[in-house]
Parts: sequence; C-alpha cells; structure tokens
Amino acid sequence: MAIVKVERLKKVFGGGELAVTALEDIDFSVEAGELMALLGPSGSGKSTLLLCISLILEPTAGVIAMNGREVYHDGRTGIDGRRFRRENIGFVFQAQNLIPFLTATDNIALAVTLNGARDTAAQKRARELLDYLEVGHRADALPALLSGGEQQRVAIGRALANEPPLVLVDEPTSALDAERGMKVMALLKRVAKERRSAVIVVTHNGRMIAGFDSVYRLRDGRLANDAKA
Amino acid sequence: MDLAVKDVERHLGKFAATIVGVGALLAIVLIMNGIYRGNIGDGVWLIDHIHPDLGVVERDRGGPFNEQSRLPEDAYKSVAATPGVAEASPFITYAVQRQVGNSSQQFTVIGYNVFGGLGGPGRLVAGRAIERAHYEMVADEKLGLALGQEVRLGVHDYTVVGLTKGAVDSGGNPLVYLSLADAQEVLYQQDNRAIEAQCAASLKTLEKAGYLPAQAKKLLPLVAPATDTVSAVLVRLAPGADARQVTRRIEDWLYYNVYATAQERDLMLQGRLRKMTAILGLFRSLLVVVSIVIIALLVYVLTIEKIRAIATLKLMGASNWVIVRLILEQSLVLTVASFAFAYAAVHLTYESFPRTLVFVPTETLLTFVAMFVGGGAREPARHLARAAHPALARLGG
Ligand SMILES: Nc1ncnc2c1ncn2[C@@H]1O[C@H](COP(=O)(O)OP(=O)(O)O)[C@@H](O)[C@H]1O
Ligand SMILES: [Mg+2]
Repeated sequence: MAIVKVERLKKVFGGGELAVTALEDIDFSVEAGELMALLGPSGSGKSTLLLCISLILEPTAGVIAMNGREVYHDGRTGIDGRRFRRENIGFVFQAQNLIPFLTATDNIALAVTLNGARDTAAQKRARELLDYLEVGHRADALPALLSGGEQQRVAIGRALANEPPLVLVDEPTSALDAERGMKVMALLKRVAKERRSAVIVVTHNGRMIAGFDSVYRLRDGRLANDAKA
Repeated sequence: MDLAVKDVERHLGKFAATIVGVGALLAIVLIMNGIYRGNIGDGVWLIDHIHPDLGVVERDRGGPFNEQSRLPEDAYKSVAATPGVAEASPFITYAVQRQVGNSSQQFTVIGYNVFGGLGGPGRLVAGRAIERAHYEMVADEKLGLALGQEVRLGVHDYTVVGLTKGAVDSGGNPLVYLSLADAQEVLYQQDNRAIEAQCAASLKTLEKAGYLPAQAKKLLPLVAPATDTVSAVLVRLAPGADARQVTRRIEDWLYYNVYATAQERDLMLQGRLRKMTAILGLFRSLLVVVSIVIIALLVYVLTIEKIRAIATLKLMGASNWVIVRLILEQSLVLTVASFAFAYAAVHLTYESFPRTLVFVPTETLLTFVAMFVGGGAREPARHLARAAHPALARLGG
C-alpha cells in the first residue's frame, strides 16, 4: 500500500482577481522505502505541495491519504494536524531550521519527547541517530557552531526521530556546496533504503538526483512524471 | 524537556542582566511607594504622637504645625482654668537650620513642660527623657548625635540625654526636644553684641518719638520684644467633659483658636501635604505604567526573538501548550525574579535612605500583581506566538 496517495490536489492562494493557482490536478503516490525527487523551477509550487501534504497549508480541493487513511478529502477529515505531523511526517528544510538554543542532541530529543517519550529515552534515541548520521561527535554543540552540512544531518536526524513513514525534504542542499550536497543526498538515499521510509526530496538542481527511484517535475503547478526508474 | 529553561541556560548572562535592569526599575517603583506613604506618615506623625484632646493656638491661625502661632506663655493658666479642662501645657515648636556637629542641619525644636507636661518625646530608643529644667536635650538619631554629647545651640551647650528614632516633623526633619524655657531661649536669645545693637535701635526710635535720652533708657524694657511666647497650649480634657463645649468656651472667652487632633490632622493633609502627595502619587502611577509597558515590551521582544523557533515547533507538531509554556515561563521568571531582586535591594537599603520610607504590605503586593498581570499585556506576545505560521519556518524554500 502507498504511504502517501495524492489525487487531483488543487491549491489556490487568495481569491477573486488576485487568485494564484499554485497547484492543479496533482496525482501521485509514494511507497515505503521509495526515494522520490520533485524537480521544478522556483515558484512552480514544490514547497506548496509539501506544505499541503503535511496539512500545514489547507488544500483547496483533492484527496490525500496516508497509509490508506484519508486525511483530506475536499476538506479536512477531522484530523488533528499537529498530531498527524508529529506521528507521520519528518521534515528537513533548508539550513537554519534547528531550534537555536538547543544542542544537536536536544533538537532531536525534543521531537521524540513531543511524541510522548521520556527524556532519557529521547536522549538515547537522539545519540543513536547522531551516530547513525555520523555527527555523533557534535552531539553537544549548538546549531550556530555546526557547519551547514552538520546542521543538515542533525535536521535529518530530527526528521527521523519518531521513525515517520514519510520524510519531506525541501531543498536540503541549497545552502551547501556541491560535494556536501551530494553527501546529504546519499544520506537520504540510505535513510529510504535502510529505514524503509518514503522520502520526497524537493530540489531545483537536476544533477543531485542520481539514483532516485522516481522523479517528478512541477511546472506552473502541474505535475509531470519524468522517468519512473 | 523544558524549553524555557534550556533557552535561559543558553542566554544566562543576557537574562540575568535583564532581571537586574527590570529589578532596578521595580526597586524605584517600590521606593516611590515608600516615599509616598512615608511622606504622609511623617507629615502627621507628630500630630498623632502628641495627640492632645485639644490644641489651643493664636486666633485665626491654622494650628501650631501648619503655620506660626504665638500665645503668651501664661495663656495655659487661663486655659487650665476653663471648666472641663483637666490639664493644659504650654508647647512651642519651630523649625531651625543650625550647626550641629560638623554640618548645618535642618530640624525642628520642640519645647514642652518637662515636669509632666504634654507633648514630650516619643520613640525613645536610648537614654531617657529630659529630667532637669535646663541644658538637657533629646534628639532624633537622624541628627547623628550620641548620648552624652554636648551640642551648642545659641549661647549654651546642651547635653544629649536621650535619642529617638523616627521622631520627625511634617517635612521629615528630625526633632530636638528641650525644656520650654530652653526652647524659648534658643529661639530668642541673642549674644551681647546683638543685644546692644537691638537696644541702640530701640533708643533711637524712642528719641525720634520725642523722649529725652534719660526717659528713653527707662522705657527700654517695655519695648523689648517678648521672649516668653509659646506656639500652643495642649489640653487634656477632664473625664466626661464635652470637647465642643470646652472649645466654644476657650474660643469665646479667651479669644483663641482650638483644634481637635483630627482637625489638626486634616489641616495638615489638606494643606501642607496635599500638593506633595498629589505629585508623588502621580509619579508613582507613572512609574507603575512605565514598568508594565517595559515588562510587556521585553516579553514581546523575547517572543519575537523566538518566532522562527516557534514556527519550527509548530511544524514539528508541538502543541500550543508547549509553545505558550516557553513564553509564559520566561515572562514569569522575569517578573518574579525582577521583583524579588527589587524587594531584596529595597529592604536591605531603605534604612539608610534620607527620607522615611513606609511600606504597606498590601501595596507591595498590589504592585507585584500589577507587574505580573501587566506584563498580561503578555497578550500581544501570546498572540504573536499563536499567529506564527509553521510555513514561516522554512525560510524561502
Ligand atoms: N502564502 C502565499 N500566498 C500567495 N501566494 C503564494 C503563497 N505561497 C506561495 N505562493 C505562490 O505560489 C507559487 C508556488 O510557490 P512555492 O510553492 O513556494 O514555489 P517553489 O517552492 O517551487 O519555489 C508561487 O507563485 C508563489 O508566489
Ligand atoms: Mg520552495
């Protein structure tokens, strides 16, 4: 069964003459362990799509199903958006999305405790993840003292904190140089394969997507399946 | 994991500096409260302390404390003879600026009948009251005198036999108690050269009026200024006497003004103290408003600083409670710690403050509540936190 299934999703910003149709007729699905790339020029609606899937933005119409359960069907289906996010979705955005006054460990542990775990268990889990992401030696550093690549690893760790079935990644490499960008992409690949999460990676850089399972392109809010591998 | 605590841990220096700053501001608020109450307390202390049943003063005068009043010293005899009066004591009070120790000090002299008369010293903390007719004094410790010390006032030395604490006139200046005769002497007595000059002037006036020099010399004692006046006569009524009746009798027959203590007190509050009280009250309210605004502003800034973190928290699915707690705890700690700092600072230092500070616990509590609730202009901060959209966290992705 698909982790996420999206049908005829539509998102219009504003109304009347000022209405901007950011997404139109979006259909796709992602399986567990699938690494999906979402390509498209700036302003094509990539971020909007991720925000709609996670119910941060309310879509205008369409259907979103998570693990076979509809969370949106031309309107909310009575689901608690925050809880839904806590339990099902991990986010990785551009740099600087770590909580600045928490150490690398605490940033990840926080996500675990938000889901109801005890502090000690959360700390243990955070350290495991940091080791897994090869930044264990930076466990007690504050985000400001981490390099861009290290910050991104910690952010990935935070996204994985609760073993979410779906990981959404928005332009993770835009603040990194090419080499570090490739490393982060490789790490995301590993996450999908080893942890069996569905991973959707947004990028406008086509060179970064070697080895992805599926590649979609957004243009003016419409989705085209590029080359399903 | 307590986010507020983690944040404070990271910015300990900044947070401590903020608490000290706000604490200093709140200390000023508390001191202002103390000055306001102290001003009123000092203003009426002497009246409340003497607390005669009636005070007799010069006709058409507003009492011995609000304006000068002069009665012949033996007025007390005729007052004492009035039916319903159990005891009548002469009493003199006047403000001076004299050299005491090494500095020129402002204080009020009180002269009373030291042999059991009304109006003697209160708040004695060391030594004893005056027991001899001359050259003893009781002084308030604010003057910085020690027991046994000799102080020159006018032409004589007076020995400090007793010390009071907090015995002040309506302006907060310390009191000096003397026997009635000594007090009159300090007020009127001049040294020999001054007396000579005075006599010469009087002689000239008499000669101008047509008296021969020999006649003028004989008349001199008659034109010398009186030095045996008092400010008031303090009255204790006989049991069962009707104060209004006694008042009417004294006013009609002796042609003086008579005030009950409550009236004297009202005169002071409506007169001398009114403007100062109003000004201090105004400052007090302004300070409270300013402090509330500053605390609210600080909380707002604390929130703005965290707006991205808050958006990220929402993105991660944190509940509102987690976010509200982050702001609420910090604003709480800020207010409580600042107030505690202010309270401690003020209570450790107020004794050495030049004016009497009086703290009314309910007012202190109210001030705290005002700061606590006022920084409830925490509301803008909470609104800000609520409005932070999680999409804000993704920084132009
Ligand atoms: N909050 C919003 N209000 C109005 N228009 C928006 C808003 N967010 C995005 N848009 C518009 O939607 C389109 C897609 O934006 P976005 O999803 O951010 O693109 P991308 O991430 O692909 O660069 C753009 O035209 C953008 O201007
Ligand atoms: Mg984007």
